[in-house]
Amino acid sequence: MAVPSRVVAIANGIATVEAFGDTRMTSLMLLGDDVAIGDYVILGPGGSFAAEKVSEERALEALAFMAEVLASGQA
Amino acid sequence: MSAEARLEIHLRVLSGRVAVVDVASSRRVAAAAAFAGRTADAVSRLLPAVFSLCGTAQGLACRLAVEGSDTLSPARRRALLAETVAEHGTAIARDWPALNGEAPDLAAAKALRAAGRDPAAAARALIVLLGAAPDSILGDAARVLAWAQERDTATARLFAHLVDTGLADFGTAVFAPMPAGGPPDLARRLAEDGESYLARPDCAGVVFETGPLARRHAHPLVAALMGQWGNGLVPRLAARLVEVAAALADMLSMETTDDPPPPAHATGTGVGVVEAARGLLAHHVELAEGLVTRYRILAPTEWNFHPAGPLVRGLTGAVAGPDIERRARLLVAALDPCVACEVTCTR
Repeated sequence: MAVPSRVVAIANGIATVEAFGDTRMTSLMLLGDDVAIGDYVILGPGGSFAAEKVSEERALEALAFMAEVLASGQA
Repeated sequence: MSAEARLEIHLRVLSGRVAVVDVASSRRVAAAAAFAGRTADAVSRLLPAVFSLCGTAQGLACRLAVEGSDTLSPARRRALLAETVAEHGTAIARDWPALNGEAPDLAAAKALRAAGRDPAAAARALIVLLGAAPDSILGDAARVLAWAQERDTATARLFAHLVDTGLADFGTAVFAPMPAGGPPDLARRLAEDGESYLARPDCAGVVFETGPLARRHAHPLVAALMGQWGNGLVPRLAARLVEVAAALADMLSMETTDDPPPPAHATGTGVGVVEAARGLLAHHVELAEGLVTRYRILAPTEWNFHPAGPLVRGLTGAVAGPDIERRARLLVAALDPCVACEVTCTR
């Protein structure tokens, strides 16, 4: 599953993003200048690059599903 | 518990060779069970968001399963090809240079990721990465070798590095390509087997390899390179170049208008199979009165990173020099897992 992460800060093309309480840094270089604080991005494998910007509606829908999966303990 | 899954590969070296390869996966292979209770349309909307890196393939496998179809319409096929170009293109432009200590070409990566909107720009980006038109390089093995040795681009230099350092055939082992359309017992096993099939699939004991090399092993260039270097690193990377070039050529020439898609079945069982960028992706759905009662997904990473799959076959028995972790990471990159993958070793 690809976890949508919310951008909480941006500096020099590097975003600080948050998902499920975890904060991490990721490069926005693949996405260009159209990412702002509050946007949601999907990180590529390993998390060093943000691979895609997603709408808030789609991100929240996916996060709600993932929270359900995590809560249910699905392997 | 973290929502982000990962793979951990641990090599155990005995008497100078890799004796055992342990694979630990935290991928939630049964997560799709949580789709139960939703409508088919809600699931096919949710899938691309939940599985973003292969979201198009996931959404299409769902549609085929709920529509009871085994054929992609032209527009759907084009969307799938665009995702294949985006995923392999990102690897070629961004990740492959790092395998040889070079900087990524992010402009090319961005253009290839946008292949669905602008395939002509993506095709130009591939030419930049190769240093020439794909057709002029990917014709036969001699041309690939000449191109590599000219070392004009990071992609060429990676190939030259692998050839020059004796790594072209690294990872060669028994080759068991996934049959077109999937294993013959796929539908039955998806319906009847437990979660272990989703985590560690097989077919009569055989763990197939899926993805570009399995799809392209009969391509003349790939076949020639395999004649020289088996299913090692150079044939694997070449198969991915062939795949991206072929996908872009298809996209640039194909018709993309579609009839409206058929409606989802209200009740019944369906299997949807698509060739995603990383390999065969299969969905199994059971529907009752318009709602999903059971949903299962079998993804390519579970074949390729299976404890008896192509990665493990390729590493087991390898001579373990001081750089075995690096060589193992090259094979991991060539097989392209959809999650982060850590490689460790004990001697």
